[in-house]
Amino acid sequence: MSNNSVVIKSNKYGIVVRLDETTPYEELLEEIAKKFKESEKFFKDAKMVLSFEGRKLTQEEEQDILDVISQNSKIHIVCIIDEDEKREERFKKTLEDKLSDINSRDGQFYKGTLRSGQVLEAETSLVVLGDVNPGAKVISKGNVIILGALKGNVYAGASGNTSSFVVALEMNPVQIRIGDVIARSSDETKKNFDNEPKISYVEDGNIYIEPITKSVLNDINL
Amino acid sequence: MSEVIVVTSGKGGVGKTTSSANVGTGLAKLDQKVVLIDTDIGLRNLDVVMGLENRIVYNLVDVVEGNCRIKQALIKDKRYPNLYLLPSAQTRDKTSVTPEQMKKLTDELREEFDYIILDCPAGIEQGFKNAIAGADRALIVTTPEVSAIRDADRIIGLLEANSMKKIDLIVNRLRPDMVKRGDMMSIDDVVDILAINLIGAVPDDEAIVISTNQGEPLVGSDTLAGKAYMNICHRILGEEVPLMDFSTENGLFAKIANLFKKN
Repeated sequence: MSNNSVVIKSNKYGIVVRLDETTPYEELLEEIAKKFKESEKFFKDAKMVLSFEGRKLTQEEEQDILDVISQNSKIHIVCIIDEDEKREERFKKTLEDKLSDINSRDGQFYKGTLRSGQVLEAETSLVVLGDVNPGAKVISKGNVIILGALKGNVYAGASGNTSSFVVALEMNPVQIRIGDVIARSSDETKKNFDNEPKISYVEDGNIYIEPITKSVLNDINL
Repeated sequence: MSEVIVVTSGKGGVGKTTSSANVGTGLAKLDQKVVLIDTDIGLRNLDVVMGLENRIVYNLVDVVEGNCRIKQALIKDKRYPNLYLLPSAQTRDKTSVTPEQMKKLTDELREEFDYIILDCPAGIEQGFKNAIAGADRALIVTTPEVSAIRDADRIIGLLEANSMKKIDLIVNRLRPDMVKRGDMMSIDDVVDILAINLIGAVPDDEAIVISTNQGEPLVGSDTLAGKAYMNICHRILGEEVPLMDFSTENGLFAKIANLFKKN
């Protein structure tokens, strides 16, 4: 017996659940449970955005359905959005924003010196325990913290997030990029560097490098 | 237990071949059985620096291609009976040999020799990959110049990625007078950037040019560079030797040397 009261459609970023208007609510829930159970293997633990179609739902009903989905599959529903024509695009944007939000708060550690030609890239924020030498590059969608000397290139907020920041014990980068703002080292060769820990951040479209003080740290938004 | 050591730098002209010749000869002087391999196929010159060019019959490519046995290609040094050279081919290029073949070759030589020293070509391409394939240990040669250090840093990264067990640094062509004036990076500055173990520093010495041109490695001689290379050899053997103090005036060294000569 084929029952089309619930139809699941999915794209790369999310799932659309089409619900029949005439089917009684209880029956619908059972059908949703069944459908998601069947496709559990297909979706695995994907992070998805959810949307409903064909039926107006109250907040309680939406919550019920979410519970049913989480009981019957491993899908992480990141958020629910309303029906829209450019749904896929919005799914994508919402998911990426959510993820980059999570990523900039999540971090990974890397121990060792990054040498010329080496690139360290991460979706999350990065903590480097070592130096970043000239010719090496660190790329992160979140923040970058270098417990060592930064003498190479760094790119923080690689998904375009200009509220990211870079910290280094010895701040002497060849080039620094935060979001879409780029700054390069001065052409004059400095002989004596003050090896004080510094932070770089974007303000009014410019990159600022400053010693780490309480007031600067207070301005950081995670 | 035998050890395969590759002498490398990334940048050309910093003293790989000179260091290979002197370290190899020095280890032979210290009663080790040593073979020097020139892996710079197409641009061979370790044989010239060793003064053995006229003895070449077969070369590295001949051995790898099976045109001769290893023993036939090995040239016995004219000064030390326990020192041998496996010369490179001049008429071929780096693609004539593969890393697998080099590994097989060094493994065969391990049975005969205490130390196998590979003189690596400049660059990071095939020649470099061939040279490091069979090595347990690397000596990085650099001069105190930003370009040489940048290349050395890249090389160290590649060696680490290839899980090289031991990487040591030789700072070559140091000019103590310039360091003193602040016009040249000091040993500490270089070690600070590269963050690997320093196994020795060799001062810039006219005697090196003379010895290279004559085909006589100067290791162990009375010159500053000769002493510096001998110290490196002792350290390779695991002995603790304090770093030479180059800041001492040359005159004093000469005086001490003269004192010994009179006795």
